[in-house]
Amino acid sequence: MECEKVADEALQGDKLDVLYGEADSAARSRVGAHLELCGACREELQALRGLRRDLGRWRLPLARPSFTPRGFVVPHWLAAAALVLLAMGATLGVSGYLSLRRALASQEARASLLEQRQRESLGAIEASLTRTPGSATAAQALVARFEAGLDERLKFSEQQQAERLDRHFASWQERAEVRRRVDMAQVAASLSYLDGRHGEQLARTNELMGYVLQASEKR
Amino acid sequence: MGRSDEELVGACQAGEASAFDLLVGRWEDRIRGAAYRFLGSEDEARDVAQEAFLKAYRGLSGFKQEARFSSWLYQIATNLCRDRLRRRKTRPQVSLEALEETGPVIVEMRPGAHERLLERDLAEAVRRAIHSLPEEQREVVILKEYQELTFLEIAQALDVPISTVKTRLYRGLVQLRLRLETEGVRGSAALPVPAR
Repeated sequence: MECEKVADEALQGDKLDVLYGEADSAARSRVGAHLELCGACREELQALRGLRRDLGRWRLPLARPSFTPRGFVVPHWLAAAALVLLAMGATLGVSGYLSLRRALASQEARASLLEQRQRESLGAIEASLTRTPGSATAAQALVARFEAGLDERLKFSEQQQAERLDRHFASWQERAEVRRRVDMAQVAASLSYLDGRHGEQLARTNELMGYVLQASEKR
Repeated sequence: MGRSDEELVGACQAGEASAFDLLVGRWEDRIRGAAYRFLGSEDEARDVAQEAFLKAYRGLSGFKQEARFSSWLYQIATNLCRDRLRRRKTRPQVSLEALEETGPVIVEMRPGAHERLLERDLAEAVRRAIHSLPEEQREVVILKEYQELTFLEIAQALDVPISTVKTRLYRGLVQLRLRLETEGVRGSAALPVPAR
């Protein structure tokens, strides 16, 4: 028994859609209508469902973690070479570590000895300082005496300068007074010269000169 | 709710490298499973899965998301499997796993051992039947039956029309039924051989 529409690819496609649950309602209707009339296709669909159950018997072995995220594919030969290198590195690493330990121990001993010597030198310096306790006090007293002498010298100098200024000021006042008297005498002589020529003008001039003299005396 | 593949791909393309870890975690088992069914070797399947993710990671910047990420990933893995199968033809090899599966089996007959033996024989018959299919049919059967991809996803992964996918699948199923019948597996009724 064979389906009359076995060459109908669309119908065969619809049957597969139905078999795998991907058919829309239209495809289901078309297949359903065909299956009502076609015994061959009914048997075929039933057989395919049984086949799918059989195919489900082939299961995967238990999965092992495989992919290293963002890693790279490591060939077997490369992995073996890496293991050999790792073993060599480990051997060299152990011997190197022991050698390094010995070198570090020796260096540590030398550093310890040097530190001990430095501590001794420091102790000697501290002891020498503690044996002369008055030295600092004497220096302070010397500085105090020096400062006192300096102050005394400064005060003396200031006093001398003040006295010298006073003398200079007094001399300047004396010379100014002499000069003022000379000037007034010359003015008086000039006034006497003009005395008989202008009577009223002379009286006026004398009056003005009186003011000038008063003003000069005030200054 | 976790991010979709498309969101994770977008995040990867934007520089969030950790998003790719999520994609790997989501698809690693399925890609490795498909590769195992294509190649029949667990070690090779693991290598293929690694290579597939590596290729995907490197090519992610150029992935335009016109197809689903899973389809693209299956396409990469399928091509890698094809390459390995071609190399096998030029350099025939026998895997230890194949020897183990086809070699003599000594089973202690404890309770249930007989059933387990039958189950194992049936599984082995299915495996042999699938591997006897032409490569094009085998790919479609595996992607549909075991990876449960839709017809559209398979079409994208194999870069063929959906109608081609269905034709290859139908022919593959028919061949499988015939092969299993000759092996003595009687899980279903006989199928007619379709007209070519």
